[in-house]
Amino acid sequence: MEKNILIVDDSESIRLVVGMGLKEAGYNVVAGINGADGLRLLNENKVDLIISDLNMPVMDGITFLKEVRKQDKYKFLPLLILTTESQESKKLEAKQAGATGWIIKPFVKDKLLAVVKKVLV
Amino acid sequence: MKTEDGNELLIGQTKSFLSFKLDSEHFAIPVMKIMEILEVPKITKVPQAPVFLVGVINLRGAVLPVIDTRVKFGMTPIDFTINTCILVVNITFNDEEIMVGALVDFVSEVFDYDERKIKPSPTIVTKYRSDYIEGMIQEDDHFMMVLNIDKVFSLNDLESIVETKIEKTEELL
Amino acid sequence: MDELKATYIQEAQELLENLESSLLVLEDNPSDHSNIEQVFRVMHTLKGNSSMFGLSVIAEFVHDLETIYDKIRQSKMDLSKGILNCTLAALDHLKLIIFDSDLQEAGNKENHYRLISEIRLYADGGNESTPFQMNSSEVEDRSMGTYFIHFEPNSDFLLNGSNPLLLINELAELGPSYVVPHFKTVEDLSTFDPTSCIASWDILVETDASMDAIKDVFIFAEDDARIDIHKFMLTGIIQNEQFLAKAKASHLRPEHLVLEEIIEIAASIPVEENEEKEQLVDVQAAAPVSKKSIEKEKAISSIRVSSDKLDELMNLVSELVTTQASLSLFSENNTSAELEVISENIEKLSRRLRDISFGMTLVQINNMFARFQRLVRDMSDMLGKEVVFITEGGETELDKTIIETLTDPLMHIIRNSMDHGIEKADVREQKGKPRQGMVKLKAYYSGISVFIQIIDDGKGIDVRKVREKAISKGFMREEDELSDKEIFDFIFYPGFSTAEVVTDVSGRGVGMDVVKRNITDLKGTISVESKPDHGTTLTIKLPLSLSIIDGLLVDISGVKYVIPLSVVRKCYEVKNEDMLKNFNKLLLLDERQVPYINLRQEFEYEVAMEGNSQLIVVSDGDQEVGISVDFIVGEYQAVVKPISKYYRNQDFVSGATILGDGSIALVIDTHKIVELYTKHVKMEGKL
Repeated sequence: MEKNILIVDDSESIRLVVGMGLKEAGYNVVAGINGADGLRLLNENKVDLIISDLNMPVMDGITFLKEVRKQDKYKFLPLLILTTESQESKKLEAKQAGATGWIIKPFVKDKLLAVVKKVLV
Repeated sequence: MKTEDGNELLIGQTKSFLSFKLDSEHFAIPVMKIMEILEVPKITKVPQAPVFLVGVINLRGAVLPVIDTRVKFGMTPIDFTINTCILVVNITFNDEEIMVGALVDFVSEVFDYDERKIKPSPTIVTKYRSDYIEGMIQEDDHFMMVLNIDKVFSLNDLESIVETKIEKTEELL
Repeated sequence: MDELKATYIQEAQELLENLESSLLVLEDNPSDHSNIEQVFRVMHTLKGNSSMFGLSVIAEFVHDLETIYDKIRQSKMDLSKGILNCTLAALDHLKLIIFDSDLQEAGNKENHYRLISEIRLYADGGNESTPFQMNSSEVEDRSMGTYFIHFEPNSDFLLNGSNPLLLINELAELGPSYVVPHFKTVEDLSTFDPTSCIASWDILVETDASMDAIKDVFIFAEDDARIDIHKFMLTGIIQNEQFLAKAKASHLRPEHLVLEEIIEIAASIPVEENEEKEQLVDVQAAAPVSKKSIEKEKAISSIRVSSDKLDELMNLVSELVTTQASLSLFSENNTSAELEVISENIEKLSRRLRDISFGMTLVQINNMFARFQRLVRDMSDMLGKEVVFITEGGETELDKTIIETLTDPLMHIIRNSMDHGIEKADVREQKGKPRQGMVKLKAYYSGISVFIQIIDDGKGIDVRKVREKAISKGFMREEDELSDKEIFDFIFYPGFSTAEVVTDVSGRGVGMDVVKRNITDLKGTISVESKPDHGTTLTIKLPLSLSIIDGLLVDISGVKYVIPLSVVRKCYEVKNEDMLKNFNKLLLLDERQVPYINLRQEFEYEVAMEGNSQLIVVSDGDQEVGISVDFIVGEYQAVVKPISKYYRNQDFVSGATILGDGSIALVIDTHKIVELYTKHVKMEGKL
């Protein structure tokens, strides 16, 4: 059964790299450029996992995360955040806001896939 | 295919031509150069243009210039009759393809002709500029002049009327 | 991978542009906190992107820069001119090395290390900075063993999308395993929350993965579950049937495995080695950290669209506008009120659609300005001249590709101005001019064209020198009488140069012919005006690529014309006899004398002696001129189509448009009409 992953990041490079890595592993990928865009895509597609950056214009990752969790149907949707090594506090904040886990940038493809496997069937 | 002389007649040398009339003279153009033939629609005149540029027409959303071929050949300007047509032709100028509408008095027919049989235009001074004419076709009792329409409708001859008017005026001073 | 690299480079370039603008602002205002934050953010993003692509050289370089700005934004350091100059130099270096990430090209390596040591000097000015490290791979501590893991999620474990079964699967992948689930007793079904987690697990797993690897499985679950991991054997035992049988027996009822029991059972199995258990792993809760407020960025989000798609969109919009015109016409000729309403609505919608879609390829000229500001700054430093760069009309919009094509020619012109035009401060003072020279970039619309001017208040171009040069090059003869404007045009001839000395900065004046060619390629024109000691003005005129304009549809002798609404000021009704009997060609309108052109006459139609005409007053540069027509039909949205090359000498017609009834209206360039008219008047005046 194919799984759909939503990537939300304002950097086109990241969207491309992550998207490619996931597609090669057999996932379907849909990408948004910020939190607001992410919410729209979430409602328009069947999404099995969200991977979101934290720093984005219009709507940042934490706010996006909270908005997602507000909706009952997305209470159990796995959601990973992308963070850099120096943002220890962000990980906690994200966790408290409802993130399932995180991926530390920079990451290699295998690491990305390993984390995805952790939270997605 | 072989002719009576036993020479190879290559298919490619038979060409299709369209013949038309300006006044009483007959002319021919390769069919390849003709996009379509129109009845004359409303022509919008552009002010202060050379006399041979009659105006522009709307050809399915594109703006097509219309040239009075008679004027180009030094004849009196065209008289619009029921037989007057516009030949929409494709000319090549400086490696560019340009569409132009040519006004003619009468469209005669389309016929095939062996290119090798086209006679060169006579070297004696002709009424018309020699670079306009590629050759002559003799058909029954009349001659047809085969036109080089790239030259006839060349964009090089635009500097004609208007500038000369001003130049002439300057000379008078 | 090339597409990815290209995307990285494009994004990096945008980030660097962004960075440069912020730095230039900071130059004037070093304590502008939001810009410091912006600089830091951009550097951080660039670093992240670079390391994602394995470009560690770049990432490390940016990291060092970022350290400086991190300290500045935390007020541990001040932004000094030295730091700013260093950052700008680093920026220039980055622009190069994004294409040469291995520092292969000559000069890049030396520059790189020189800059790094300079940057580090500044960076260490504050407190200790942490060196950048790409994520180092973990040192694996592999040794075989059997682990006992107790995993008890909190009741709200499921509420962040976590799935305990996936974690257990992950453990199971580490080696042979034995899993025993338990469920908490549910007291009261009616108060039971089904989203809560009441399961827990005891897991035995035999693996040679490190303790860290096992902990890693639970990395996200640390805070939301009780996790006990014990390594109780240094060998694998799970596959031992005896052990397994006994272990199973120990919890025939669904009770958890008890570590001590399991250890006993393990001990009872005859094996070679028995090892003590390892200490219970201390799972520390992360220390609470104060929440930082999330900064709201005022960035304008954008997406990239292929230009083919844009072209198609614009074509369709053009056709829509034309079709809508037919609809309007149809509804006028029919008396259905409902149809009229619908037709009007469609007209409004298509107008808006047109504005938005044609606006998509448009970019403000402001975008170029930052680059020029940098150029002027660098050059004034280098030449030892004091120059200020002013811009006017930055909001003027141009097609993106045109802006890109214009950048080089404009840079060249500005370089020339600075090098040959503006004098040194002392010289200026002697002339009675302000010490600081000015280079101004001005942009504005007029008619269906956009004008870009580069104005300087330097020493101007000596027309006599140009004339001499032109004669010596054979471009003109001694006896030729040419206007100053015509003489200045020679500057654009290939091989022309007025610079006495070939300077390093702008090279010889040879570039001007290339500049002119770039402009004519864009179907524009360029001209020069200059006054000795007052300065020089270079004017570039470009046709607007917008092919739909708002126009005024008028009629002269049954032929329709369109005058761009953008030049129309006011309309009056005038008597034909007033126009004809007037010798000085001025009409009194609203108490002003306005020159006028009788277009009917100009276009050689029969002149009407009686009756009235409509006079449309348009602006032409600084002056206002009236143009008379028979009558005004109304406002009209014209899809302007090019008129054939055959009419290139009739340049007062800038295009044609197809009306709703299929007939053609000619679009007029009023500036050219005035020019043409002035020419004719001169003629007549002389006769």
